[in-house]
Amino acid sequence: MKHPSAFVLPLAVMALGLSLSGVAPAQQIDYDPGRADALRRCDDPLLRGRQEQASRCYRALLTRAEPLLRAEAQWALGDFQAANQAFRDAVAAAADDPRPRVRWGRLFLAAGQYQDAMRLFQEALEIAPRDYGARVASASVAAERFSGDVSDSLRELLDEDQGRIEAHLVAARVAIENGRMEEARSSAERALELAQAQRRAPLEAQTLLAAVEVIGHRDPARWTRAALAYNPRYGTLFEELGYFEVIRRRYREAEGWYARAVEVQPDLWSAHRERGLNLLRLGEVDGARASLTRAYSGDRFSTATVNTLRLLDSFDQYEFIDSRDPPLRLQLHRKEAAALRPYVAQLARQSIATFAQRYGYTPTEPVTIELYPEHDDFGVRTAGLPGIGLLGVTFGHVVAMDSPSGRQSGDFHWGSTLWHEMAHVFTLSATQHRVPRWLSEGLSMFEEWRTGPTPGVSVGPDLVEAFIADKLLPVARLDEGFLRPAYENQVQISYMQAGLVCLFAEQRWGFAKLVEFLHAFREDITTADAVRRVFAVEPEAFDAEFQAFMKQRFAPYIAQPKRWLEQMRAALTARDEKNWAAARTAARAGIELLPEFTAGGNAYQTLATAEEGAGNKAAAIEALRAWRKAGGWDPQGLRKLAQLLVEAGNQSEAAEVLDAVNYVDPLAPAGHAELGELLLATNRPADALREYQVLLALAPLDTAGANYGLARAARATGDAAAARRHLLQALETAPRFRPAQKLLLEMTGEESP
Amino acid sequence: MRRLCAAALLCAALPLPAAMHVMVVGGLGGEPQFEERFGQWSEQVASGSATAAGSPDRVHRFVGAEARREAIEGRLRQLATQLNADDQFVLVLLGHGSYDGSEYRFNIPGPDLTGSQLLALLDRIPATVSQLVVNATSASGAVLERWQRPHRIVVTATRSGGERVATRFGGYWAEALASGEADRDKDGRVTAQEAYDFAVRRVEDAYKADAAVVTEHARMAGGDAASFVVARLGGEALFAGDRELVALRAQQDEVERRVDALRAQKTQLVEDDYYARLEPVLLEMARLGARIEARLAALGVAGDRP
Repeated sequence: MKHPSAFVLPLAVMALGLSLSGVAPAQQIDYDPGRADALRRCDDPLLRGRQEQASRCYRALLTRAEPLLRAEAQWALGDFQAANQAFRDAVAAAADDPRPRVRWGRLFLAAGQYQDAMRLFQEALEIAPRDYGARVASASVAAERFSGDVSDSLRELLDEDQGRIEAHLVAARVAIENGRMEEARSSAERALELAQAQRRAPLEAQTLLAAVEVIGHRDPARWTRAALAYNPRYGTLFEELGYFEVIRRRYREAEGWYARAVEVQPDLWSAHRERGLNLLRLGEVDGARASLTRAYSGDRFSTATVNTLRLLDSFDQYEFIDSRDPPLRLQLHRKEAAALRPYVAQLARQSIATFAQRYGYTPTEPVTIELYPEHDDFGVRTAGLPGIGLLGVTFGHVVAMDSPSGRQSGDFHWGSTLWHEMAHVFTLSATQHRVPRWLSEGLSMFEEWRTGPTPGVSVGPDLVEAFIADKLLPVARLDEGFLRPAYENQVQISYMQAGLVCLFAEQRWGFAKLVEFLHAFREDITTADAVRRVFAVEPEAFDAEFQAFMKQRFAPYIAQPKRWLEQMRAALTARDEKNWAAARTAARAGIELLPEFTAGGNAYQTLATAEEGAGNKAAAIEALRAWRKAGGWDPQGLRKLAQLLVEAGNQSEAAEVLDAVNYVDPLAPAGHAELGELLLATNRPADALREYQVLLALAPLDTAGANYGLARAARATGDAAAARRHLLQALETAPRFRPAQKLLLEMTGEESP
Repeated sequence: MRRLCAAALLCAALPLPAAMHVMVVGGLGGEPQFEERFGQWSEQVASGSATAAGSPDRVHRFVGAEARREAIEGRLRQLATQLNADDQFVLVLLGHGSYDGSEYRFNIPGPDLTGSQLLALLDRIPATVSQLVVNATSASGAVLERWQRPHRIVVTATRSGGERVATRFGGYWAEALASGEADRDKDGRVTAQEAYDFAVRRVEDAYKADAAVVTEHARMAGGDAASFVVARLGGEALFAGDRELVALRAQQDEVERRVDALRAQKTQLVEDDYYARLEPVLLEMARLGARIEARLAALGVAGDRP
């Protein structure tokens, strides 16, 4: 998974935009001791799978005067609109009672409308700041949305009352998600004991206990049998097991659980939906469509279902390009497939060859790469929802990412993103998806820097500042920085830290050990144990050495943290004032302090501008070369370097630099014509042919020029027939096109070259 | 390689059959970046237009403090009396414009020029003079229909008066006048149609590259834009005066008509058959091209076009 560097959005769930209308979402068990007896009498048959009996019971409550009772009954009966109105009435009728607000918020929560839910929980807390129901609900939302560490809130709730089932359940869930399985088991067992003692449904506790077994590679039958004995139609049990597989990126295993969920409870529409979304992760489009269609038949208001079905309908606008050796499938939008295909295919093949050699593993299935020109389509493909803050995602052998046309030119390096995601394909597959998140991301970052199209350890001051502020996590807990970020840009920082941890391990123990470290995760092993086994050091010692590595690597910046920013500002100001000498001095200082900073406003490009302004083009070239070597890739900077190289007569390097632009900004026609000329001039006709083919695919205004370029490139590769045809096509459009005329006369032997 | 200077010098000695006069106005920028931009664009347009006009003397540029209403009005009045039948006139407005729902205004130092005032001045020019008016300002779309006349091609940078954001179209129009890429048929002449297509495409590409909402949609109306030459590239400007070149050009025209005729049959022919028929005609054209190039070389001008 790759994030854009510029912004962070929550990973798991964004605002659904689902209006409060239509079919009721599934109701969670209300463990509140304050739940009315009348409702609890109806809950019992419902939670035991006796739907008809439960419905009769709830219907009988619809005539009751209390709006809260009616609201709960209507929710249970699936009349969502009526429930919503009744909750509104209940809130109005009990201005000082937090409970109706908490329950109404639960309704929103079940619908996935987190902001509305949180607003109601907040209102409840304003009425009663210590209200247990509102606090546990808030913690539940935070846990579900992976928004920060909820441990303290849960501890406080449990310290206050050890007898509340839901607090133990939330604690168990959080522990599972953080890989603390013994803690999870203990919390779930406590929840089960309490449920039995309080004569409440044990289903959720049994589900979590089953999940603990599944994650520990043990048979969960004890708990699944017990849950199904209590409620033979409890499909949620398997839907949840599927969920825990998905968050561990074990999509094939998740499919098995989702299949059982809908088998046990055929009308569990959320399970059909999740199964469909998961089948898409496996690249099984037809199966996904069938499951999502089924989900839609029962729940027409699920945004994820509707969005994804619409996306699938749009697949006829895509080209599916299959190739062998290595087996690869590209899914590219028709409007840009011809232009992108050569670069995507080339980079994908190169990455497979590189990673297979480096990691001693070859993917067992064809790799599918999907590029979406609309970022929201990519969001829907990834999470069923638009608006996600990611650039690319890997689901095992399926990679989905933004197309370069989906973002502003220069906004992201699609080539690096693909390289990053392809590294995930290997790290996930090589470990049967057991690799911890931090290591998979770390190795992807590391490979971007080491072998990707933008070599160079490119990091910003945020990372060093986080290090100085002691905000970096110990290696054994690095996953938490991705799963439950505790400060604003911790996810980005964690990406950088994970990459640097891999870089450190490589430098300290060698690349072979780093590969061995990855392969250690073929077994179920914690990061701490893997560190001990492979590097033969305690995790604490590993962290201490990493600290020393960081201190050494970033020593100039750490020594004078404020100076870097001062120098950068001074350089930019001097540049704007065309005070080249001052700009040069400050930019050089900026580079010395943090050579890893290559993003927008970097000192290298400022230095190049200053050198060029002072008339020293050779020094400007050197500055831009250094920038590129450090990981710089802004297309304007690359084009500037190419221009300076051409002026200096270095066509070969200029061609190489312009070629690199294709992995950032491949859809600008002008660059291809220029590169085609350079490639012809430097005797690389096959590459020139590719450039002119791409140029023609971009429907340039100057088709005659593009065909003329194709003719020359084809001729240089020895394909006289193609050369002649392209030449005629050029002259067909522009009969007076003198260079093409000359070539025609030359090819027919009437004129000497 | 371009030899515009040589072409211009020779053109001065070899008068064109009808004169083209060009007037370029760079309006009020309001901010330094726009002042610089409009000044630069107007310079590029003036320079490119001189290749079509045959002489820089026939190009008048008003920019900065010079672009005041009195000066612009004075020059347009003067032209209205000086232009001969069959002459051509080009007006290019660069800068900011505005539209209040009833009247367009071109923003210049001092009082603005309104759309109605500009129209009245343009209408004073004899109808026998072919006109091209390029209004590349924001909100310029407001004048397209009102300014249109049978003898006048009108180009606006925006679809309507409602597109009020500063436009990029003018910069790309300026670029087209010196661009071999804009000259799609490679005949050494950039027509109004070619310049328009080039600028429109560049605007689209620029907004796409920025992933920005497109805030300008150019329009063109009236006249024969495909025949209205706005710039000449390379040695093309010489063709009109040299007898041998004129004769060769006439032969090229005849061969090109045969190319056109074949192109019209393209969909009815098998592809290989079509190109087999096309090739000898194009070879004939190429041989003429070689003779033209030889003649240009004899005149001291390289015939290569960009």
